[in-house]
Amino acid sequence: MKVTYNWLKDFVEINIPAQSLAERLTMAGLEVVSLEEKDKDFIFEIEITSNRPDWLSVIGIAREVAAITGRKLKSPKIISHKVRKSPFELSQGKQSHKAFTVKIEHKKDCPLYTAKIIRDVKVRPSPEWLRKRLELTACRSINNIVDITNYILFTYGEPLHAFDLDKLNSDTIIVRRGKKGERMVTIGEETRAFDSDILVIADKVKPVAIAGILGGKETEVTEGTKNILLEAAIFNPVVIRRSRQRLGIQTDSSYRFERGIDPKTVESASLAAAKLIQGLAGGELILKKDTGLTKAKTKVINLGLDTVNNILGVTVGATKVKNILNNLGFKIRPKTKNNLSVGVPSYRPDVNIEIDLIEEIARIFGYQFIPKSLPSVMPSLGAGGLREQVALIKNILVGLGLNEVITYSLIDSGMLKSFGTLDRLPIEIQNPLSTEQEILRTTILPSLVKCVAYNLNQKQEYINIFEIAKAFSRSSESATKESLALGIALCGEKSRLLNQGRIKDEITLLDLKGVFEVLFERLGVKDYLFVTTGPEEAEICIGKKKVGRIVNLEKEILESFDIKNKNVLVAEVSLDPLLGEANLEKKFIELPAYPGISRDISLILKEEIPAGDILGAIRSEAGPLLKEIEVRDYYRGRQIPSGYRCLTISCFYRSDERTLTESEIAPVHTLICNVLTERLGSKIR
Amino acid sequence: MDIESIKTQIESDIKDVNSLPALQEVRVRYLGRKGIIAQLTNSIPSLPQEERGAFGKEVNALKNKLLSLIDEKEKALNATSPKQTTATVDVSMPGVVQELGRLHPLTQTIDEICNIFMRMGFSVVEGPEIETEYNNFSGLNIPLEHPSRDAFDTFYLKGATHLLLRSHTSPVQIRAMKARKPPLAIVVPGRVYRPDAVDASHSFMFHQVEGFMVDTNIKFSHLKGILEVFAKAVFGEDIKMRFRPHFFPFTEPSAEVDISCIICKGKGCSVCGRKGWLEILGSGMIHPNVLKNVGYSRAKFTGFAFGMGVERIAMLKYGINDIRLFFENDLRFLKQF
Repeated sequence: MKVTYNWLKDFVEINIPAQSLAERLTMAGLEVVSLEEKDKDFIFEIEITSNRPDWLSVIGIAREVAAITGRKLKSPKIISHKVRKSPFELSQGKQSHKAFTVKIEHKKDCPLYTAKIIRDVKVRPSPEWLRKRLELTACRSINNIVDITNYILFTYGEPLHAFDLDKLNSDTIIVRRGKKGERMVTIGEETRAFDSDILVIADKVKPVAIAGILGGKETEVTEGTKNILLEAAIFNPVVIRRSRQRLGIQTDSSYRFERGIDPKTVESASLAAAKLIQGLAGGELILKKDTGLTKAKTKVINLGLDTVNNILGVTVGATKVKNILNNLGFKIRPKTKNNLSVGVPSYRPDVNIEIDLIEEIARIFGYQFIPKSLPSVMPSLGAGGLREQVALIKNILVGLGLNEVITYSLIDSGMLKSFGTLDRLPIEIQNPLSTEQEILRTTILPSLVKCVAYNLNQKQEYINIFEIAKAFSRSSESATKESLALGIALCGEKSRLLNQGRIKDEITLLDLKGVFEVLFERLGVKDYLFVTTGPEEAEICIGKKKVGRIVNLEKEILESFDIKNKNVLVAEVSLDPLLGEANLEKKFIELPAYPGISRDISLILKEEIPAGDILGAIRSEAGPLLKEIEVRDYYRGRQIPSGYRCLTISCFYRSDERTLTESEIAPVHTLICNVLTERLGSKIR
Repeated sequence: MDIESIKTQIESDIKDVNSLPALQEVRVRYLGRKGIIAQLTNSIPSLPQEERGAFGKEVNALKNKLLSLIDEKEKALNATSPKQTTATVDVSMPGVVQELGRLHPLTQTIDEICNIFMRMGFSVVEGPEIETEYNNFSGLNIPLEHPSRDAFDTFYLKGATHLLLRSHTSPVQIRAMKARKPPLAIVVPGRVYRPDAVDASHSFMFHQVEGFMVDTNIKFSHLKGILEVFAKAVFGEDIKMRFRPHFFPFTEPSAEVDISCIICKGKGCSVCGRKGWLEILGSGMIHPNVLKNVGYSRAKFTGFAFGMGVERIAMLKYGINDIRLFFENDLRFLKQF
């Protein structure tokens, strides 16, 4: 809403400069977003909140200025005119002696419709003062009649519309819903199609305006117009809102009707317009017709002064409260010492309960004068739960060198298709703005691969990223599911500068496995397993249940993301089952009292024998003295025949009762070596 | 060889030693697993019973003598010989380390915000991103067909009429209040969605942190106090704050909170649009209708609520000028935080 300093001064004395006024308005809730000096005036651009239709008018803002500066509002004189009651005659030779009538199809759509007929006007350019005012507030000057309707709209907040009376096809104005197939060319020269969701103003033949939004081209006031029909009405806000949304037209009129019109302003605005028209365009008001009743009951609210002070945390004082409300146009009647009965003016549809009044008091009193204090908070004993567990996981992953990314939960469905993960039904968005917002992702991985591709384009050598976010799916049309997932993506060559120089290492699935082993260990997840499902793919199982997978992505998938000649390894895990198995309780285990003995076994074995089988065999044969077992090293290369590899396995023996001797270990170790050579066909080096 | 000649041999060997590695050789020759002392010890069982004791003692004495000689020599070598001539470590070389990853700057910002409120006794609660129309709108006193909803353009789900992607974190107010009884002091971080065309300051997905407190006797002055602690903790002790009346359907009285521009200190610059103030959050006293909707007694309880955009806070804090950077995830960007 734009308003000028001088325009405001028509309605209220202002004794402070424009700059200070802007600040005062801002601090009262009318945020002045810009203040511009132009043509010896100041233009205030004010952001009006949707609860205050009364501020969509110069008078409404002037009322606020009066309240915050402690002045009285100059009330605009209500103009009354003698209306000659003569039978309505259509010109253009169409003789009809019936009285002009207004028919409202549904009262709910249009509680009040007032029409005025002004005869013999002279349409011409507006005078300088009017043009300037409108142009300062960014409204184009058209001609005196149209400008007057706009001027009254901005001054009073009541939208008006002027029809060229002689272009109407009948002496009846009908407010009704549109019919399917009906069309109309609007003032903006656009053809609009109607249906029953759209409220129109029609004559007996066809629609002549979109009610409360925009007039029709055919009945527009032009230079040749002689007689006008001036409409001032109240339309149902919800109906106007739906029409506006359906047609995609927002106008100064629709904006106000949607927010609500003061029923008491309709007549005064319309009369003010008629008076101005007669003054600036000549003509004669010959007919006044009101249809519909608006006997608005004055709302009365009980206000407890104690409540004001309790809610705000400051003592405002009875006199101050009364002054503030009075200046805003509320009618006060003291009930008891601490209670006021407050009558709400008709232009305040937003004030309905006590708290609405308290807000008014706080606003004008000034938020800056309300002190600061701290409430006592009952400390919560419970740990942060899920959020803390997720934070722990993130910290572990960051500690392993991974970088956290945040990607959009909404994606292009094509991205999912090229990924081939169609095991879960995606949830589609009804109103996406672009294909990139078509569906809610069922997996985080496509977004991560997109992110890898982006970073490869930025010439990053090693990309190691993760995200923890919701994945969404539906089990049926309307049953939706969202659950937390962890996704990881690795790409490029891992390289580190060590004391011996730079080492480079090609990443494999084992890099991902390693991440999860650390994660599981730190979360206290015990019963996990990696099960091979393909040459470069494995499932992650916890307690025999599949919770995720690790995979080296296929070339075709990568190509759909424009990634060429690179390996991208990804992992995705559902966090719910993982966290369900997590055990963060820690328990101290006595440190070993006796030293142990470590023995390495170096063996050559066929490639196809999994290391897991070797470790499993050792574990099952070794007996209780074997405490730890690990793969120390592995080797493929010149010294080893092809098709074979060399593993070095370290066995650690220890007893809790005594220091072990060589002779106790020897038979166990020999047994293990025998099993490995005889049963698993490996050769001890 | 008899013990005495071994002893002489030892003494001369050690005397000849003039470096630590040479001394180590001597040590291995005599004391190693297959060294001379071990051989002597191993020979004990083959001796006649009556000689074993005395021989054992002699071997032991020899071993001790040897140990003390080696020890002495080592000290002498360390004291006299110039420092070993191994190359000096070039500490201007990069350190050898496993690189740490980074948390996303939005995660860091959310953590910082939540931690500030947790220090004041708030607890963190989260909610689903798919919400009901009721929790996102009606329950929060936002009528379905009212202009106040225009500020909350919303993604709806196909085939599920009353389900949507939450357009703010406020629905968690409804969930948390329905699940618990006052006193409540809760903060809610999370992703939210609005069908906005993406540009430098808009994104169709972004993050908010919501906070609210409900108890008997919660006042507007408490809201001011709590938020002042918050703003000063994030932006520094010397910022100025102002509470500006505003309208939100779910709070009344409502306030927008501005801080003095952290770039120009209030003088006016491009970041604050020459106003000297930066809007950082929306807040207010929880609307009685909201309390009624969750079944709380409006006569007994009052509360305040506030909400902020995490991206905005992070952009101000780190001086980031384009919201898209958060979601592009350029590693060169991420590694700055």
